[in-house]
Amino acid sequence: MRWSIEHKETWLHETNPTVKLLLFLPMFIVIVFVHNPNVLINWTIGFTALFMSFSGYRMKHMLLFFVPFFFIFISTSLSMILFGKGETTWFRFGLIHVTEESFYRGVHLGFRTLLFAIFGLMFALTTKPVFLFYSLMQQAKLKPKYAYSFLAAIRLLPIMLEEFQTVHQALKVRRAAKAKGFRGKLELIKRYAIPLLSQSIRRAQRIAVAMEAKGFTNERARTFYYELTLGKYDVYLFVVICMIVAMGYYVADAFPYVPIKDVR
Amino acid sequence: MIHIEQLRLKFPGAEKRLFTDVSLSIKKGEKVLLLGPSGCGKSTLLQVMAGIIPRSIDVPMKAKALHIPKQVGYVFQDPDAQFCMPYVDEEIAFVLENLGVPRAEMKEKIERVLQRVRLRLPHVHVPIQTLSGGMKQRLAIASVLALDPDVLFLDEPTALLDEEGTKAVWETLKEVADDRTVVIVEHKIDHILDFVERIILFNECGEMIADGPTDHIFSTYRSFIAEQGIWYPEVWEMYEKPKTAQQPYHPSDVLLHVQSLRGFRQKEEKITVDDVVIRAGEWIAVTGENGAGKSTLLQSFMKLIRTEGDMYWRGELVKNDGVLYDNIAFVFQNPEFQFVTNRVDDELAYCLRLEKRSEYEIEEEVERLLRRFHLSAQRHLHPYQLSMGQKRRLSVAASVTERHRILLLDEPTFGQDAKNTFALLEWLEAYRQQGKAIVMVTHDERIVSQFATRRWIIENGKLVADETIVPRTLVRGGI
Amino acid sequence: MQTKGLKLTDVLTTVVVAIVFGIVYKVWGPLYYAVKPLGLHLDQLIYGMWFIAATVAYLLIRKPGVALLAEVAAASGEFLAGSEWGLEVLFYGFVQGLLAELVFAAFRYKRFDVAVVSLAAVGSTIASLVVDFYKGYIDQLAWWNLTLFIGARFVGAIIIAGVFAYSLVKALEATGVTQLLRPTTKEDYDSLDK
Ligand SMILES: Nc1ncnc2c1ncn2[C@@H]1O[C@H](COP(=O)(O)OP(=O)(O)OP(=O)(O)O)[C@@H](O)[C@H]1O
Ligand SMILES: Nc1ncnc2c1ncn2[C@@H]1O[C@H](COP(=O)(O)OP(=O)(O)OP(=O)(O)O)[C@@H](O)[C@H]1O
Ligand SMILES: [Mg+2]
Ligand SMILES: [Mg+2]
Repeated sequence: MRWSIEHKETWLHETNPTVKLLLFLPMFIVIVFVHNPNVLINWTIGFTALFMSFSGYRMKHMLLFFVPFFFIFISTSLSMILFGKGETTWFRFGLIHVTEESFYRGVHLGFRTLLFAIFGLMFALTTKPVFLFYSLMQQAKLKPKYAYSFLAAIRLLPIMLEEFQTVHQALKVRRAAKAKGFRGKLELIKRYAIPLLSQSIRRAQRIAVAMEAKGFTNERARTFYYELTLGKYDVYLFVVICMIVAMGYYVADAFPYVPIKDVR
Repeated sequence: MIHIEQLRLKFPGAEKRLFTDVSLSIKKGEKVLLLGPSGCGKSTLLQVMAGIIPRSIDVPMKAKALHIPKQVGYVFQDPDAQFCMPYVDEEIAFVLENLGVPRAEMKEKIERVLQRVRLRLPHVHVPIQTLSGGMKQRLAIASVLALDPDVLFLDEPTALLDEEGTKAVWETLKEVADDRTVVIVEHKIDHILDFVERIILFNECGEMIADGPTDHIFSTYRSFIAEQGIWYPEVWEMYEKPKTAQQPYHPSDVLLHVQSLRGFRQKEEKITVDDVVIRAGEWIAVTGENGAGKSTLLQSFMKLIRTEGDMYWRGELVKNDGVLYDNIAFVFQNPEFQFVTNRVDDELAYCLRLEKRSEYEIEEEVERLLRRFHLSAQRHLHPYQLSMGQKRRLSVAASVTERHRILLLDEPTFGQDAKNTFALLEWLEAYRQQGKAIVMVTHDERIVSQFATRRWIIENGKLVADETIVPRTLVRGGI
Repeated sequence: MQTKGLKLTDVLTTVVVAIVFGIVYKVWGPLYYAVKPLGLHLDQLIYGMWFIAATVAYLLIRKPGVALLAEVAAASGEFLAGSEWGLEVLFYGFVQGLLAELVFAAFRYKRFDVAVVSLAAVGSTIASLVVDFYKGYIDQLAWWNLTLFIGARFVGAIIIAGVFAYSLVKALEATGVTQLLRPTTKEDYDSLDK
């Protein structure tokens, strides 16, 4: 898991997970309703800077995390650039039709995805799942049965990966790991999926049984081993986000990089 | 404390009832052992007593009267399937949270229960995943203790542990039991006979045969127990192994020759073997502590994990893994992974079909295997629906066929009753007589001394000893 | 312990199964953008995999709320596994699960056949298209391209999240594991007395 990679704890790690979620999720909506590429570019710069300076991870690791996002950037931009509508033709070849409008729209889309990715990364890298679910129980009144189910499932992840390897080995040994033809391939997918799924269902059952055997009920009021509260860092985060958002608008207005203000 | 009257229970779709009018009661403070052959319903009954059936697992059942304790602790067999949190302290805290213990008291209570089960860790915030099987079972006991239950239910809590671990876990359990009521299901009873005071005895059909003090049961029902094939203290002394077993054997052709083999998991080297050979007609027992690398060793032989080094099959360098799969049978430690079909009989037929035998021949062979491994009544079930011991048997029976020259078996006898253990060992012995080689991981010293011709000891990922075992009969003979 | 709503076993099973699919979702990401630059929206044919958690979980557990929970959990799993799309997958998961759930609710949670799960897959597709509409300016694509895009997504969804999910669950039922999940019937109880 990512959060097991060596890192320093910064103030971003100290913020309340629920607050962080409540600040980041609405950004998704805000971003969707921004159509000016200049603003998005500024925000991308701003939030990347925040992430790079305060995530607490080594530069090497952070750059590695970013690799897949460039693929996404390119692939999201590309189909809009190549096949989007537009007036000012730059290039045409068969079905491909690149216009100025579709080009900027494509780039805009790319930055959008990049921004979502940064928020996701920032959240995932600075939040421990255990704290997230404890905080959701305490601050957002999430029912314990949901929270602990998630925690148990996360604990099972590495075990399930191991199981996948074992199933693969078992099939190899019994000469059942290869199949010919489309039907055979489908059969093969099932040969992997069925033991894995039924095994995880059984595991889930056993764990649920074990949890109830350990006195877990929904009725009784429970205490918490970790108490999560709100603090000054949550205010910091709020202020920083507001500042980046506002600066982004201002700079986009004062010093635009591209001539287009609305890509629709 | 526990009182059950006329319990009836039947799995949906099963042909017969598992229990018909079983009644029993257990008084406060009693230490009771449920004893019976594999598949008779011990685990199921334990779950009824603990209220897990039908509260958490919905199985059709009814009883005239059913009094079950409120506060129960249950230790399961599979160490991995009973935790819901990633760290040791969080797992115990989970129990305390359930009880509504104030946060301020938690730290101290966690320390206390861990001390109680002698789980010594550098600090309490240790990932559960890094614990060995034995340590995990102790943690399970610790979190049960945190509940402070009136009754403890134990379902083969040591089946997956080595000798050391087994002893230690039982010692811990005896210590913490105090005046609590304890109900145990266990096949290997050597470690607990001085602890349990009452035994409830079942036959194959889930009927209660006897119920009484430990000594009484063993003196009165000795022949019944032997007949049903249940483990009892002198079983090995009473056992007449096939005459052929362990005849001083004459080294014959080398099947597999392994040279400086190293097996890797992720990037770490987990097993090293300098130079060993497996000859036809050998029975090699592989022993070592939990986590020493026994399973890893077998997997390296099959090239299931990344390996370095050379292997020679009958003198020829192995270039294509297919040679290995064709000639070597492999039985995994976890039987559930072995199954590729939906029915017990199809499972047995699977490998035979791959060999393109005639349907008539296959049918006959399957019948024979079903009888031999006491699975006839379960033939239509899905392999996953079997009891622990039944699954284990099926996984062995289904993966070994005539074509294989070497059989690699990873703990094929755990969770098995005496009858089936012997049936399995004799079946393997017959194969050995035909000139096949058997390589078997086991924690059972008796099997090693009675059946094996050679022993490999694994320690910390290294094969450290490769010794011939002098047959016992010869020792007695005064050599 | 018959509380209203989902029992702990239901929730836990749903979440665990969903998280398994969450991993599949994560792996699906690279696959998806690997075929994407081909341009002719072949990628859309495999988009349906991102709806499968809802239908499989519903077929397994057959209770209200499960489809939505499963899709959200699978999306969270994908997110935690480090999805390339970051937090946005949570939104997608939520709306896709919601529409699938509505389809099941429309049939009063009484039908468990291929048709109804295929409809749910269609529901999820519509949900994903709506979000795409706001987020991805898909209406700005050339019309032929857009038709191909939407058509491929529907077809893929029905095949993967409808038909394939159904056959997967049928195969799982053969293992008897679903017995653990479904309430026992009255006949089962009656047969105790025979
Ligand atoms: N879901 C099921 N459907 C049908 N039969 C089942 C199901 N689960 C268990 N059984 C059968 O019920 C019987 C009792 O199983 P149980 O696990 O209680 O046995 P056990 O006495 O604990 O055996 P072992 O010592 O091998 O663990 C077995 O014969 C098994 O095949
Ligand atoms: N899939 C895996 N991935 C990584 N490490 C593993 C894996 N399986 C086992 N190990 C590690 O490899 C070492 C050897 O494990 P192995 O399973 O071979 O032990 P074993 O001797 O078979 O023990 P046991 O008696 O408990 O079965 C242990 O340190 C274990 O933690
Ligand atoms: Mg059992
Ligand atoms: Mg092992």
